[in-house]
Amino acid sequence: MTSNIPVTYQEVFKTDKGVVYQCDATHRLILEFWDTHTQFSARDFTHFRRMVETVDIRQMALSTAAEHDVEILALPRSERCYVLTLCEIVHLRELLSGARLMLELNSMLRECGCTVAE
Amino acid sequence: MKDLARLRTAIKESVELALNQQIQMELTASSKYLAMAGWCDRMGYDYSAGFFYKQSEEERKHGMKLFHYLCDQGATAYSPEIPAVNQEYDSLRSVFEAVLEQEIAVTDSINRIIAICRRENDFATEELLKWYVKEQMEEEYIARRCLDLIDQIPADQVYYLDKKLSSVTYEDNVFE
Ligand SMILES: [Fe+2]
Ligand SMILES: [Fe+2]
Repeated sequence: MTSNIPVTYQEVFKTDKGVVYQCDATHRLILEFWDTHTQFSARDFTHFRRMVETVDIRQMALSTAAEHDVEILALPRSERCYVLTLCEIVHLRELLSGARLMLELNSMLRECGCTVAE
Repeated sequence: MKDLARLRTAIKESVELALNQQIQMELTASSKYLAMAGWCDRMGYDYSAGFFYKQSEEERKHGMKLFHYLCDQGATAYSPEIPAVNQEYDSLRSVFEAVLEQEIAVTDSINRIIAICRRENDFATEELLKWYVKEQMEEEYIARRCLDLIDQIPADQVYYLDKKLSSVTYEDNVFE
């Protein structure tokens, strides 16, 4: 994980496998997961989270076919992709759904006129 | 911390998903009506065929209205996958029975989305959906009225029945 984080990055959610930051200056969400570092627009982040949520992990767990050992997820607007094992999908889900919850909480606070101390 | 999702769109994820499902439903309805039009055309029910060709276009417009709304609001609209639809029917009655069932399913779906809008305090989308509530009242009325006519008009007066069915409208919708 990166040790020198840009000052504009605010931590949204963290697990022992990764972090999600938000950068207010660039309007980007940054996903750090194992050794990867990916920037998303808010829309792409949601899109990617849904991709991770809809992976059929039951099939991955039960199937003996080699093609079900890993799931390949293409990153929106990027040449890169994630090749993830079942275990990594579960960790990524935990991280992304935690981030989602914190972003929703931020929305709710804004709606009722509160702001989180920065 | 900025609310990035809100800066992009006023539409919440749950509402966006529901509206995309509704787009899929409207365009599937359009495809079903087109199949009904084709069947009526083949069977020589020219008036009913005309009615369903028009209905098929209407359903597409219902879907497009939601599609444009999502795009205009900064949300994402997806061009839906349309499943295979039934192409054959046993009788004119079975066609109109399918119409009524289809319209009831749409009404239920619209009501569910309005409930989601209320939960999310999305009053703009609820306002848009009011148009669909009125529309569904009309569509259900017309389908029921057609089924009545099929029961009332003697079976040997096929030409008259076909003509009569295509002329059913709902003039006195209390919400209009
Ligand atoms: Fe419709
Ligand atoms: Fe309809």
